[in-house]
Amino acid sequence: MIAGAFRAEMWKMWKRPATWVTLGLFGLITFADLFDEFRDARKDPEDPFFLPDAWGQILGQEVLIGFIFASVLLILLVASEFSWRTARQNVIDGLSKTQWYSAKVLLLPFLVALFLALRVVVGGSFALAGTDLSAGVTLFGAAQLSALGGMFLTGVGYAGLALFAAIAIRSSGPAMAVWFAWFAFGERLLVGGLGSLFEGLRPVLRWAPITTFNRLRDYIQYDSAAFRRAAEWAAEHERPGPELEALGPAIAGSLLWIAALTLVGWLWYRKRDL
Amino acid sequence: MKSASDVPIIQTFGLSKRYRQTTAVDEISLRVEPGQVFGFLGPNGAGKTTTIGLLLGIINPSGGRFRLFGGESAAELHAARRRIGATLEYPNFYPYLSGRDNLRIVADVKGLDSKEIDRVLDLVGLGRRAKQKFKAYSLGMKQRLALGATMLGDPELIILDEPANGLDPEGMREIREIIRGLGERGKTIFLSSHLLSEVERTCTHVAIIQHGRIVRQDSVADVTSHGVAGLRSADLAALETAVAEYPAAQWVKRRGDRVVAELDDGDLAALNEWLVGRGIHVSHLVFEARSLEDVFMEATGVADIGEPTDGSSGRDERRMGEVP
Repeated sequence: MIAGAFRAEMWKMWKRPATWVTLGLFGLITFADLFDEFRDARKDPEDPFFLPDAWGQILGQEVLIGFIFASVLLILLVASEFSWRTARQNVIDGLSKTQWYSAKVLLLPFLVALFLALRVVVGGSFALAGTDLSAGVTLFGAAQLSALGGMFLTGVGYAGLALFAAIAIRSSGPAMAVWFAWFAFGERLLVGGLGSLFEGLRPVLRWAPITTFNRLRDYIQYDSAAFRRAAEWAAEHERPGPELEALGPAIAGSLLWIAALTLVGWLWYRKRDL
Repeated sequence: MKSASDVPIIQTFGLSKRYRQTTAVDEISLRVEPGQVFGFLGPNGAGKTTTIGLLLGIINPSGGRFRLFGGESAAELHAARRRIGATLEYPNFYPYLSGRDNLRIVADVKGLDSKEIDRVLDLVGLGRRAKQKFKAYSLGMKQRLALGATMLGDPELIILDEPANGLDPEGMREIREIIRGLGERGKTIFLSSHLLSEVERTCTHVAIIQHGRIVRQDSVADVTSHGVAGLRSADLAALETAVAEYPAAQWVKRRGDRVVAELDDGDLAALNEWLVGRGIHVSHLVFEARSLEDVFMEATGVADIGEPTDGSSGRDERRMGEVP
């Protein structure tokens, strides 16, 4: 039954213009960004763009834009079900509330993976074109897999917050506004404000959701070669060097936040009438 | 031991829904048997949609319990709901999808074959417009698509909430024909409406709800079987007073140029004799068949809706001598 519900989700997503608009926009941004890298590398041999080193740029901060699009799309897909009353109709048609919610939760990893894959495919293609395959380099190794995993978790975390906003607010516009406000400045303001008022709270506030998810998003934590290069560059330019996060607690914290957000969202959804 | 066909399709026991200060549904007890076309009547805001929402599991009850197909546990109710086709309030579909794609979603949810979609689209006359987006449909087409969606998978119970809303007379006739056809095929239908004539023409049984309470529940034949007496006399005021004193009179009302009364015994001859004994001579005494509208007005206490002023009641009138 959940398979049927998820198949219906896929069908709705496939047919929804917002899916193609968000994917198209992110594809364009990715293309423009990485094409620049590719072109610059052709012009300037000092600034190469080849695998596996190029993963640092491919899986750089711009991946976050994809996660923002994924979260926005998720809010559109979920919250509109309440405005159109199709959330209610799906249950009338035979889905249990658990099945309906589970199908939405399955969208989280799917959408994040979709946007991440788009970045990897577009970026990987450009970088592959500049790679000397005869040199026998490892195109995609354990470091890149770990980085993808960490970023995936970051994306699922953002999207988990978006799902919670969509379920709690039940209207696309306000849910997007609240999610974006929390993502862009709300959490920082709250954490900063509480931290300055109650100094003892600071260790706890370090585990606020976005702060926790963001610990997993920096590529150089996963790639020792990239970390070394960043440290050398920082020393050369007399800048503070990169710091390694304790990934274990950050992964555990992110997983806990994702579980908590989906659970509280579920309890909220189940309690309210449709 | 009861056979499956003896088990009521819907049975509620003191079912209630309260929203803070408001009681939307107040301890209602309903019973719908297999094969009935059950009309659920009530003014706007009486609690019809909330009751259906409770039965369909989209509104959490505040009290009481209910059974669908004899089942009461969460698992039984979930299984029972898969034997139901229902639509609530408005046709609820994805506006960016075509009629066919919307039915495909419903079919996916119900685990049905896509062939079923074509059958239903033809049945509701949307075969040629199936590829058009739902948002481009007229209200009548939306209602027909909703009716089609309820029929997907040939469910045993069909629940329709105001299916004729916004339809023109032709559309209403079409919907009525479809519902009647379903009833003739032995489907159990639970039809909520505030259109009395629609329910009277379509349903076999009826329940009237007002302020969240069931005020009447019976077969349509039974609730309309007790006629009312219509009388005229030179002195209407004296006639009204006299009829009000008649022991078998349940209620008396002045309607236009006549007095109308419901009699316990339905014996017009006895009433006439009693009036003559009081010196009142009636010029007109008829036994009028009571419509569902009469029953509704009496049960809900909603003000009389008025009648034609040309002296005719506009109803099926039978003269005294013709009443058996």
